[in-house]
Amino acid sequence: MTSEKLIERLCSAFGPSGREEAVAGLIKKEISDICPNAVYDRMGNLIAVMRFGDTSAEKRKRVMISAHMDEVGFMINEIKSNGTLGFDTVGGINESVMAGRRVSVLGEGGLMTGIIASKAIHHKDKKEREKAVKTEKLYIDIGAADGDEAKKYVSVGDFAVFDSPFYTFGEGLVKAKALDDRMGCAAMIQTMRALKKQPPEGDLDACFCFTVREEIGLSGAKAAAYRIKPDIAIVLETTAIADIEGVDPSGRVADVGGGVVVSVMDRSTIYCRPLVDLALRLGKQKGIKAQVKRYVSGGNDAGTIHKTGEGVKTVALSVPTRYLHSPACVASMEDYHSQQRLCEEILRAVCSTEEI
Amino acid sequence: MKLYNTIKDLCLCPSVSGREEKIRDMLRELIKPFCDECATDNLGNLIAVKKGRGTENSKRIMLCAHMDEIGFLVNFIEDSGMLRVAPVGGISLPAAAFTRVVSEKGVKGAIVPEDKVKAADYKAQAFYIDIGAKDKKQAETKVAIGDFFVAAPSLEKLMGNRICGRPLDDRVGCAVVLGIAEALADVQLDHDIYYVFSVQEEVGCRGSQTAAFRVQPDIALCFDVTATGDTLGASPMACGLGGGAAIKIKDSSVICDEEITKALCRAAKENKIKHQKEVLLFGGTDTSSMQLAGAGAAAGAISIPTRYIHSGVEMCDLGDVQCCIDLGAEFIKSI
Amino acid sequence: MNKNKLKEFIFSLCSVMSVSGFEKRAEKPITELTAGMFDSTLTDAVGNRIFIKKCGKQNAPRVLIDAHLDEIGMIVTEVCKGGFLRIANLGGIDVSIMQAADVIVYGEKPLRGVIASTPPHLKKDDKLPAFSELLVDTGLSEDTLKELVDVGTPVGFAPIYGELLNGRLIGKSFDDKACAACALLAIAETPGEELAADVYVMLSATEETNRLGGVAAGAFRCDPDYAMVIDVNLARVPDTKDYETVEMDKGISISLSAATDRRLSMATAELCRRKDIPFSLIAAPSSTGTNATTVNLVGLGIPTVDVGLPLACMHTYNEVISMTDAMSLARLVREFVCSKEIAAEMTREEVSLI
Repeated sequence: MTSEKLIERLCSAFGPSGREEAVAGLIKKEISDICPNAVYDRMGNLIAVMRFGDTSAEKRKRVMISAHMDEVGFMINEIKSNGTLGFDTVGGINESVMAGRRVSVLGEGGLMTGIIASKAIHHKDKKEREKAVKTEKLYIDIGAADGDEAKKYVSVGDFAVFDSPFYTFGEGLVKAKALDDRMGCAAMIQTMRALKKQPPEGDLDACFCFTVREEIGLSGAKAAAYRIKPDIAIVLETTAIADIEGVDPSGRVADVGGGVVVSVMDRSTIYCRPLVDLALRLGKQKGIKAQVKRYVSGGNDAGTIHKTGEGVKTVALSVPTRYLHSPACVASMEDYHSQQRLCEEILRAVCSTEEI
Repeated sequence: MKLYNTIKDLCLCPSVSGREEKIRDMLRELIKPFCDECATDNLGNLIAVKKGRGTENSKRIMLCAHMDEIGFLVNFIEDSGMLRVAPVGGISLPAAAFTRVVSEKGVKGAIVPEDKVKAADYKAQAFYIDIGAKDKKQAETKVAIGDFFVAAPSLEKLMGNRICGRPLDDRVGCAVVLGIAEALADVQLDHDIYYVFSVQEEVGCRGSQTAAFRVQPDIALCFDVTATGDTLGASPMACGLGGGAAIKIKDSSVICDEEITKALCRAAKENKIKHQKEVLLFGGTDTSSMQLAGAGAAAGAISIPTRYIHSGVEMCDLGDVQCCIDLGAEFIKSI
Repeated sequence: MNKNKLKEFIFSLCSVMSVSGFEKRAEKPITELTAGMFDSTLTDAVGNRIFIKKCGKQNAPRVLIDAHLDEIGMIVTEVCKGGFLRIANLGGIDVSIMQAADVIVYGEKPLRGVIASTPPHLKKDDKLPAFSELLVDTGLSEDTLKELVDVGTPVGFAPIYGELLNGRLIGKSFDDKACAACALLAIAETPGEELAADVYVMLSATEETNRLGGVAAGAFRCDPDYAMVIDVNLARVPDTKDYETVEMDKGISISLSAATDRRLSMATAELCRRKDIPFSLIAAPSSTGTNATTVNLVGLGIPTVDVGLPLACMHTYNEVISMTDAMSLARLVREFVCSKEIAAEMTREEVSLI
C-alpha cells in the first residue's frame, strides 16, 4: 500500500478521544503480519513490541515509539425536544471551524451523518456576523423530526467527529481530518515494516505504542510508558504551524516542506538534548530534511511520557501541519517521509551508541 | 564567608531549566564527600544518598532543592541579527527588560523590549536579545535556534548579612541542602537520607516528580525560596528577611503535612533556631510533586525568605540561610 | 438499608472536621465512627483513609470506591489586633456567603467564631470584600487568642444539620462525605461472601485544593482492577443549564466522558437498569472535574466510572441533598461491588509484552 493510501485509510476511521477502537482495529490488522502479538492494555493503547539482537543481553536499549490514535471530536450532551443535538468538543476545536461542517455521529445503529448548524446569516445582526458562533449556540442536525425520534438513534454521551474527505492536492500536499496524529500512526507502521525488512544492528526492544486520549490532555501514553519503562521515547506527532501569508516569519513555527520538525521545548516538555542533537545530526548525515521548531507552543504525549516513573529521555518528531484540529488539516508527504525515515534512523542509531 | 562563597559559586554557574549539566557537575563534586552513592536519573536529577543503619524503623527521607533557573529560549533569528525568544519558566518581563543575558555557550547580550512598547503592555513576543551581531549571518556563527539564555548571574554582599543577586532561586536552597549534608556527614543515622538536586522546577516541578518516584520517600522536605511581606507595598504576609527559617504551612500547590510542620517547629524551639511560619497564597514548589509521587509521602518545606524573586536583585539574609541549615539538620536528627 | 441509620451516619461523618489538607485530624473520630465495620483500615502519608473488606476468595480482583474526605474550609494567615483572625480559603468558596457565617477555629481547642461583616451604614458600595479582607471574630482577647491559635490553624464551617420537606437534608460538607457515608455503610452492611471483589473504600485527601488530589497516591497504593469515583454533582436549580446539571430525587448520575472508562460506565448503567436503581446519564466530554479523571490514569491505568449524587448549594455550609438519592447511591455501591459480571469483565488480563 502506498503511504498516501495508508494515511487515507487511517484518517477516515472514526476515533475521537475515548473511542479509538475502530482506529486500533485497523492498525492491528495492518501490522498483523509484522507483529502478530500486538496487545491492548486496559486503557485501550495498542502496543507492539519488536525485539532485535541478543534477547538475553542485559544492556538492551528499550525504546518506546508513540503516536496517538485519537482525534478531536464532539460529544452529544443534550437531545432537544425539537430533535437537534446539543454538544461540546472533545479536545480543543476552534469555534471558527465548526459552524456549517458535516460530522459523523456514532449512534446506536452505527455511523450517521449530521451537520453542525446555527441560524442563517440572514438572521444575524451586524455584531453576530463578525464573530464565530459559540459552541453552546451551535447544534447538530441529524434530520430527526423531534426529540423522541432523535433518541431512537442517539444518546447523551455519544461521540461525533468531522466528516471530511482525504485528498492529495497542490505539490505533494495532502488534506484530511485527523492527520493529527494518524500520520504518526502511519509512520510507525512503515517504520515497523522497514525494521522487519532490515533489522537494526544492536540489542533493541522497540515498543511501538498506538496511544489513546492525547487530545484531552489525559494521555493514555502515560499508562503505556509506565508499563514499558523505556529508557528512551520517540514521540511522532504533528505540530501546528502558521507558515501562511500575513504571518511574521518569527511566528510561523515551522514550514510545510521544510522537513520533519524537531522540538527543543514546547509547553509540556523540554526535550532531551543528546537526543535532539542526535536527531539533527542524523538528519544531516542521512540527507533527511529536518527543521528546529521556532516557537514554544503546544504540547503532546511527550509531556506525560517523560515524567512517567523514574523519567524517560524523550524526543518529538513532528510533521508540520497547517490548520490543525480542523476538518481540513494540510501537510506535505515529503515531510511525512522525513519523519518516518528519521524515526527509523534514530532507532538504528541508539542501539549502537553509548552516549544516550 | 564559606556559606557566602558556596552560594556565590552556585549562582555564577548558569543552568536554565532542562539544561542543568554544568550545575549538576558542580553539585556532584560538592555533595560527594557527604554521601555514599550518587546517581543521575533520565531527566538529569542528581540523587545522592547517605545510608542509614538499616534498622526496622529506618525511613527514607528526601531533601530536595532545584538546581534550574528561569531563562529564555531562542526561537528565531531576525535578518538584523536580533534574537526572538520565548520565556522558560515564570519570567517577569518588567524585571527582565534592559538587563544583561548570557547563553549556555557563553555568548553575552542584552534583553530588551521593542521600541515604543510601554511597560504595561509587555509581552514576551515583543522582547528580543541583542548580542551585538551586525546581521543574521554573524549572529548564526555564535547562536542557533534552540539555544538557551539566562539573565547574567551575579552576587554581592550588602549591609549586615544581606546578599543580593541572582539566581538565589534556588541556588540558596542547594546551598542549604549541601550545608545539611555537611552537618550530618559524621552523624550515624537510622534513616536513609536522599539529597536530591532537581531539574525543571521552574517549568512545572517536573524533575522532583520522577526523582521522588525513584526514591519513594516516607518523608519529603523541600528547600526553596519564599516571598516575603516586608517590602514596600507588599501584600500582607507574616514572613520577612531576618526572621529565620520559614516553615511552610502552605503555598498554592500544597498544604504541608501537619505532623511535619509541628515537628519542624518543635525542632526549632528546642534548638533555639530562629524561625517563622510561611503561608504563601501563590506560587508552587517541588513539595507538592514529592507529596503525590508514587504512593505518596509526608511532605513539608523549609523556605528561605527572599525578596524580589525572579528578578536580577533577589535578596536573602545569610542568617536566615544558616537557620535553614541548622533546622534541617536538627529536624533530621530528631526523627 | 435503614434510611434513618444512613441519615444519622451521614450527619455524623459530615460533622467531622476534615478541612482540606488537615484530613489526618479526622483519623480518630472516623475510627470511632467506623469501628468494626471493616476488616482493616489505614491512613497513608498523604492523609487518605483506606478501608478494606475482603471477599474471601483467592486471587480475587480488587475494586476501589473513592469519595473524597476533605471539605472546603479556611486557614488562619494572621492573628490580628483586637482578637480577630485573618484567613485564606482552602478550596473554592463563594465570598458572598461568608459574612456573618458561623465557623469553628480548630486551635489548641475548638473555638466558636463568626465572620465579621461591615455594618450597612459604613459600606461605600455594594462590592463584596476580598477573602483576604475577611476577619473571624472569636470574642477572645488578643492575648488569649495568641495562646490558642497560630498561623496555619484550620477553620471550618460549623456543623449544623437539619431537614427540609421531602426528606432533603441540609448542612455542611455533604460534598463529599455524604457520598463517603453511603459507600462505607453500604459495604459494611454487605456480607463478605456476597462481594465479587476485595473492596477498598478510600476517603481521599486534598481533592478541593490540589490539582491531582491525594487520590493519585492512594489509588497507586491500592492498585485496583477497577474503580468507582463518587462525588457530588450540581443539582438543577433556576438559572442553570439542563445539560450541566442533574435533577434531585431522580437518582444518581453516571458520567460518560472521554476521560473515564466507557465499558465500565455502560456496565454500571446497565446494572442500574437491571436493579431498578434510578439514574441519569450525563455528558462530561473532556473531563469529569472529579477524582475519576485522575484515578483513571494511575499506574497502568485503572478503568473508572464516575458517579454523582445531586447536590444543591454546593460549597456552602447549607448544602442540600435528597435522602432518596442517597439511598439510591448506597444501593448502587452495594450492587456494584457484588456484581460478578462487572468483576469478571474488569479483572485485568495479563498483558504480556513478549
